[in-house]
Amino acid sequence: MTDAPAPPQPPAGPVRLVTAACILALIGVGFSLLHFVRPTPLLFSLFMIVGQGSFAAALVLYAVAIFTDLKRRKVL
Amino acid sequence: MTGEGFFSGSTENVMRWVAGAGIVLGLASAAIMIVVLVRKPEWRVTAAAKWALLVGLLVLPGMTMLSGNVVGFHNVKNSCTQCHTMDPWVNDMKDPKSSTLVAKHFQNRWIPDNQCYTCHTGYGLSGNIQAKIGGLGHVTHEYFTGVPAQIKIKRPFAVDTCLHCHGESAKYLKIDQHVDAEMKPKILTGEMSCFECHAAPHPRKKP
Repeated sequence: MTDAPAPPQPPAGPVRLVTAACILALIGVGFSLLHFVRPTPLLFSLFMIVGQGSFAAALVLYAVAIFTDLKRRKVL
Repeated sequence: MTGEGFFSGSTENVMRWVAGAGIVLGLASAAIMIVVLVRKPEWRVTAAAKWALLVGLLVLPGMTMLSGNVVGFHNVKNSCTQCHTMDPWVNDMKDPKSSTLVAKHFQNRWIPDNQCYTCHTGYGLSGNIQAKIGGLGHVTHEYFTGVPAQIKIKRPFAVDTCLHCHGESAKYLKIDQHVDAEMKPKILTGEMSCFECHAAPHPRKKP
């Protein structure tokens, strides 16, 4: 009797990139929620610097993950 | 709360709605991202995950950030007076006995709202971006690096700010020097400051 074939493993690179992107975007969203709830100049600055910075980084990682995945599938 | 107040089109009320929308969108995107993170890694490359990520990582957080900018920018316009550093100048502005230019502008409500922001930022998008960068610097000083003992304006006061309101007014154009063939170009290009002839807007030293 042969074992059933194992399900194909997802590529580690894009999965890791998406995970990192989600974490960074969560940080960004967290700072924006904080700033909505307590609109102080300090939280606004943190939202502008840390929140938007980490969201921008998340978008870059997400774009890289998509690009890597498309290259792996030989679409690009 | 009356229905009229709840749905009024006043700026403050609109900002409350935008902030509320930002909170809802932010919570929704956080929920989607948490779902993506807690599911098995294999799921993250499925079509469902890709749609979830498109909405939860791109669209909703993008809209949250946008509303954060709108609300934050609106709130920060009247935050200049929240730091004690500026107290002496703000007190002078609000002092009924003061005759400085800022005091006159404030007392006569020549600038109805957000007086500091109106004069200390340029008009238009570039002015807003400059104000944003400058404001981050101010907050960094206030909370992290300390405020310098002697505060001075970073760059010469832009003459455009004065001319935005005064430049085409009849009262302004009635003054010979303002329309003088030699002086007019100097004023318009900023080569000549308004304060070479007019009194300084704020007290030169800490009042």
